[in-house]
Amino acid sequence: MRYLTIALTKGRLANKTLELFERIGVDASGALDKNTRKLVFTNEELGLRFFLAKGPDVPTYVYYGAADIGIVGRDTIIEENKKLYEVLDLGYGKCRMCVCGPASARKYLENGDTIRVATKYPNIAKDYFLGRKHQTVEIIKMNGSIELAPIVGLSEVIVDIVETGSTLRENGLEVLEEVCPLSARMVVNQVSMKMENERIADLIRRLKNELAKGI
Amino acid sequence: MNNRVIHTPDGVRDLYGRNKKNKKILMAQLDGVFERYGYSDIETPTLEYFEVFSSDIGTTPSNELYKFFDRDGNTLVLRPDFTPSVARAVSMHFPDDAFPARLCYSGSTFVNSREYQGKLKEATQMGIELIGDGSADADAEVIAVVCDLLLTSGLKEFQVSIGEVNFFKSLAERSGLDEETVETIRRLITTKNFFGVSEVLDQANVDDAIREALEELPQLFGGAEIFNKAEKYALADQEKEAIRRLRDIHAALVDKKLDRYISYDFGSLSKYTYYTGIIFSAFTYGTGEPIARGGRYDHLLGHFGKDLPAVGVGLYFDQLTNCLQRQLIPYGADALLAGKGGNA
Repeated sequence: MRYLTIALTKGRLANKTLELFERIGVDASGALDKNTRKLVFTNEELGLRFFLAKGPDVPTYVYYGAADIGIVGRDTIIEENKKLYEVLDLGYGKCRMCVCGPASARKYLENGDTIRVATKYPNIAKDYFLGRKHQTVEIIKMNGSIELAPIVGLSEVIVDIVETGSTLRENGLEVLEEVCPLSARMVVNQVSMKMENERIADLIRRLKNELAKGI
Repeated sequence: MNNRVIHTPDGVRDLYGRNKKNKKILMAQLDGVFERYGYSDIETPTLEYFEVFSSDIGTTPSNELYKFFDRDGNTLVLRPDFTPSVARAVSMHFPDDAFPARLCYSGSTFVNSREYQGKLKEATQMGIELIGDGSADADAEVIAVVCDLLLTSGLKEFQVSIGEVNFFKSLAERSGLDEETVETIRRLITTKNFFGVSEVLDQANVDDAIREALEELPQLFGGAEIFNKAEKYALADQEKEAIRRLRDIHAALVDKKLDRYISYDFGSLSKYTYYTGIIFSAFTYGTGEPIARGGRYDHLLGHFGKDLPAVGVGLYFDQLTNCLQRQLIPYGADALLAGKGGNA
């Protein structure tokens, strides 16, 4: 049997996903084993392989067929914009993509001023401001601690993921506009979906039933 | 020495030695398949007027075309694909009694796309167009040629996934949804985003039966058994006709003993507006993209002044050889050697 390879987003998403797989009787706990330096965990019995990757790399692995299935946040799927099948909303990892800034920045959004927007997600930001709001903005790509940008005056607002909003509040920022809701998704390579239809469809069905039971 | 003099630009490459020999021999073998089915060669220019590939013909987005100006200020493009060129040439040169015409081509195509990171911007394509025959047999013939090409290349595991655009088109029309919503749903169905379709329909006022059908579409794929399931949702004539068409094609492919390479997908839709009937893609391991793509385009020739039905397919040659390499299947000259070496 050919291995089905599953790419997991490193971190909390991976833990949650492996819990879920456990509940449908798929053991992949070895993928999180801290005592090994092995990068790929294999479940020989079920013919499954698991590995961890950084979020933005997961759609890439799946798109090129190096992984058949990926578990990744919707933010990354939209940002990377690769041709993938997005087959399942896993329901966890829920948060929102938002435009945030100090309350005083609200007027810039209402007036359609040309402002600077700092973000880890330039494509999402561009699509929102140019495509949906028709507001000309200058987008600044950052790699972390986005909240810093409006505080030190690099940009007027930011586009970032908001879960509870506590980091924002502690830094005197707030949600100004919501771009879209987010959660963890299962994506499938288009070729794998055709070539390994039965096994993948079966996996989706079992995960779906388990999710329907509620967490 | 300046590096730029030695390196090729991103997305194009030199080919020589063994790789070139393999390519040359495999192309000749595939040409043999075209010949066996009675297809004759056509050559069209690399450069065409922009209008041949414009958005109402709709193959490649305008920003992904390589564009130039000629001396008179006309916009020229490097062809991104052969089908519109062949349709134009046929409309221009062929007399009315020349049909049905079986034509084959091979050559470079050019797509200036960012998405093609690590992929070729100049890619070799080989393909056929069967013009002037609107029958299911013509559809089946073209699919048989695809299977034959892939088998000839040495590929053993592949799937040709066939859809019918009228099934969705008719559902969309009956739903009464506005164009933008239909486009959103089309995109969601193409990415098999089951839950996304439901989300969109939650906000729209759609007849229950149509809603159920649209929600089912992303999962409506599989072997010939899927026809019965699809029939439950087919209430309008156009939808029933789409299924009947696929059944006819299936019967023809069973006759040709090719059905094990075939699957059906009612959720496979194309953003290319020129497809009017079946559309299909061939898949294999080792790439995230189809290795061949085709379909029926009964109105494309009409754009060029000759209203004739047509069906065709293009094989992405470089994708195919990539897959052969990844699957460790020798091809071209290597396959001939391996064949001889088998006895030694």
